[in-house]
Amino acid sequence: MAVLQPRPLDFISYPYEWSFSQLKEAALLTLELQSRALDAGMRLKDASAYNIQLDAGRPILIDTLSFEAAAETEPWPAYRQFCEHFLAPLALMAHRDVRCGLMLRDFIDGIPLHLAARLLPGRTRLNLGLASHLHLHAGAQRRAANQPPPVLGSPLRERRISATGQRALLDSLRRTVAGLKWKPTSHWTEYASTTSYSDAATASKGEIVREMLAAVGGSTAWDVGANTGVYSAMAADAGYRVIAWDQDAGSVEAHWLQVRGGSGPRILPLICDLANPSPAIGWALEERASFLDRGEPDVMLALALVHHLAIGNNVPLPGVARLFARMAPRAIVEFVPKEDPMTRRLLAARRDIFEHYSLDGFRAAFGESFRIVREGPIADSGRTIFLLERR
Amino acid sequence: MPLLAYIDPGSGSMLLQVILAGALAVPFFFRRVIADTWHKVRGGDPSKRAEVREETDSDR
Repeated sequence: MAVLQPRPLDFISYPYEWSFSQLKEAALLTLELQSRALDAGMRLKDASAYNIQLDAGRPILIDTLSFEAAAETEPWPAYRQFCEHFLAPLALMAHRDVRCGLMLRDFIDGIPLHLAARLLPGRTRLNLGLASHLHLHAGAQRRAANQPPPVLGSPLRERRISATGQRALLDSLRRTVAGLKWKPTSHWTEYASTTSYSDAATASKGEIVREMLAAVGGSTAWDVGANTGVYSAMAADAGYRVIAWDQDAGSVEAHWLQVRGGSGPRILPLICDLANPSPAIGWALEERASFLDRGEPDVMLALALVHHLAIGNNVPLPGVARLFARMAPRAIVEFVPKEDPMTRRLLAARRDIFEHYSLDGFRAAFGESFRIVREGPIADSGRTIFLLERR
Repeated sequence: MPLLAYIDPGSGSMLLQVILAGALAVPFFFRRVIADTWHKVRGGDPSKRAEVREETDSDR
């Protein structure tokens, strides 16, 4: 008798928090598992993206109960779900806009195919895979809706496909998914090389962050506004398992491609706009937990982020502090003053209504929610890094 | 707009799947035969067929 011993994961993430390649790899894994299940006289009875999690730099299936014994000639009951959970969002991300991935937040059971078909550019009809599994598929659903209702008690029509047909369908889905490509071109991915720091300031910042991470001595960290993960890597080197959040799909994509597989499995890059993080969704708002209700790390890093929230998004500093205090018991937070070129850029096109945005204002605002453990002024820069402990 | 709330969109999906599987089976079968033969001629391992399928991709 075989015994399956589940291993708890650090964190459950959702498809609307994944970058293009993360969703694509989850899709390819689902097809690979279905193919192997067929070889073993079984099948996956569903193909939900929520059954896949990202762990140690790769996708894994977490729903072992998805497997069931089945005859090879039975149609795949999860075909539609696969197209709605994976193919439709991936096609929209690749051919329309990568931010279409966020639509999965509204459509908890995948993007309806007739909606995807309407949103996709007309040229996708020339792609054989997308034409069949998406456009024709949407049409087939529409035609089924126009059929007269079945007579009560009439037997269900049993449909069969050949074993070769079964594999041909999977092969076609695999090729279609593999053929979808997206390359990040956003300005954030170059951010690390276009910051305003001098070399001395960069070295000083790194040293302060490393010291503070060591002082915390925890095992899990969230790097919020991680960009492509310079400081996430620092935390990982210090022994932390890191979730690297960023609002920019391009940065998360670049970061994932850099850490996936072997090089940095202790880091999981995910998409999150802290000004509008993942809400609780689904039935009674209990199916998928909100960003704040999925556990907390030992420490959070918010480096070069507060000025975006306070000035870019008009969030008062005490509000920023309260959110951080809900997220983690300890926080390493960088304060970027008004005189800093990056803050000046944020203020360039607007009236300065942020009279409390100063070092003292920061101390007072964060002092309500946190105790200030340490302050680390960054050399050759007006910036300061704070180590904070929740009150 | 048809009354989508009253139908199971699965019924259309099922029918399409049966049709597609039938249509795709033919080129898929021949691709496999060609790949196997190619490997036999080259003296390669037929279990490496997957990569060859990738190379002989002609349906996209």
